[in-house]
Amino acid sequence: MKTIAKPVTVFDVYQRAKTGSKVEEREWDFKIIPQTAKALAEKYDIKMDKKTIVPEDRELIDKLWEAGLELLVTCGVYSMDTGRVIKYTRDEVLTAITAAPDHFIFGEGKEATYVVPRSYDSSRPPIIQGGPTGSPCSEEAFLSIHQAYAQEPIVDTIVDGVMQTVMGYDPTPGSPWELMAVHAEIDQVREAMTRAGRTGMGL
Amino acid sequence: MRPSDAHEVSQLNELKIDVGALVVGAHYALTGQQVMVEQMPIFGGYAGGLEATTIVDVATTLNSFVMMQATWHLDGPIHVRWGITTAREPLAVAGHAARAIEEHTNLILGNQYYTLAGPCTVMCLLETAAQAITDTISGREILSGVASAKGVTTDLFSAMEARMMGEAAHAVAGMDLHEVNVILDKLVATYEGDYKTAPQGKKFQDCYDVKTLTPSDEYVQVYNEAVKILTSLGLTYWDK
Repeated sequence: MKTIAKPVTVFDVYQRAKTGSKVEEREWDFKIIPQTAKALAEKYDIKMDKKTIVPEDRELIDKLWEAGLELLVTCGVYSMDTGRVIKYTRDEVLTAITAAPDHFIFGEGKEATYVVPRSYDSSRPPIIQGGPTGSPCSEEAFLSIHQAYAQEPIVDTIVDGVMQTVMGYDPTPGSPWELMAVHAEIDQVREAMTRAGRTGMGL
Repeated sequence: MRPSDAHEVSQLNELKIDVGALVVGAHYALTGQQVMVEQMPIFGGYAGGLEATTIVDVATTLNSFVMMQATWHLDGPIHVRWGITTAREPLAVAGHAARAIEEHTNLILGNQYYTLAGPCTVMCLLETAAQAITDTISGREILSGVASAKGVTTDLFSAMEARMMGEAAHAVAGMDLHEVNVILDKLVATYEGDYKTAPQGKKFQDCYDVKTLTPSDEYVQVYNEAVKILTSLGLTYWDK
């Protein structure tokens, strides 16, 4: 009987980050990644035409899939803090893909959005997540800006911006004000959703 | 944050990670959160050109699901010179990577938006439309944006760009791929010669009524101008 593969966890990954082979970061950035990616493009004879922005050729699509999978298995991932390489087997990668969720619910209540896989030719449009995507927002305009997104009917969920000050203070990373800013962002986005009549939208 | 929100953690360019991110991932795993793993491969960066960057993008996306047991992956191929996701090359990287993964898995894929032009400009809306079209016809599930004018200036963005992202996506969902590719090629050609003179646009406070939270008449006119161009290229969504 075949053993059921156990998916890799983030804890396994950390252990591998401590025990994998040592590599210089420059070697990774300037040799291992570019040379392997280029070699795989040649191995699979991958040629893209940038006038055809979304591929129509099924053979090219399959080659890109195989090359990407092979790159991840061949190179692995570089752990910057330990200077070591985290490796996976092909089976581990395929098991993780199989184990990954093929749906989830974004938000709650009447504003809950059901996210399910869609195909390139699906007539069902994608989920629209509106917001400044991490762009800097003034503290004074934060609430109004996010309410404007929430009141767009075509927007399903919100992606928020980053508050530049909180109570007038700079939320320097690693400082107590950073935590205050994060809490203020969440509170104000929730308030923006409520003011737009859309309590429960995903964030 | 609620369990139904997206809990973010980022990979690093290219195919790199720091232990701090693993600690964040461990917290999400132990508390059963929905995890969104983000990473923006750089076209013209460490990976190199079009084909190599696309291969790296596929590998990076798969890594999110192996390393962090992601619920979904947020992509964002970006141009090394312009710092935007809406140039032709990053669009091609995103379109090819998504199609390759979508064809072979049921993974949930998103993409994020960084335009060169700013709010209240036709160019910003056309850039946004081009990416929304790319993402929709390559099978992505979540479109996330828009960080207008590269997302670096305080309050230089507005909800109108998100409206365009949504409407352009709805406009092409279910259309014939080849037909949309032809439109897309022409659409990108309308703005790709203007990068050096891209308009900065107007801040939220200058293109919205900040009391009613509605776009200014000027922005509505700009929006209608962009719609006119998209309609002339063959999209019928706004005719209905």
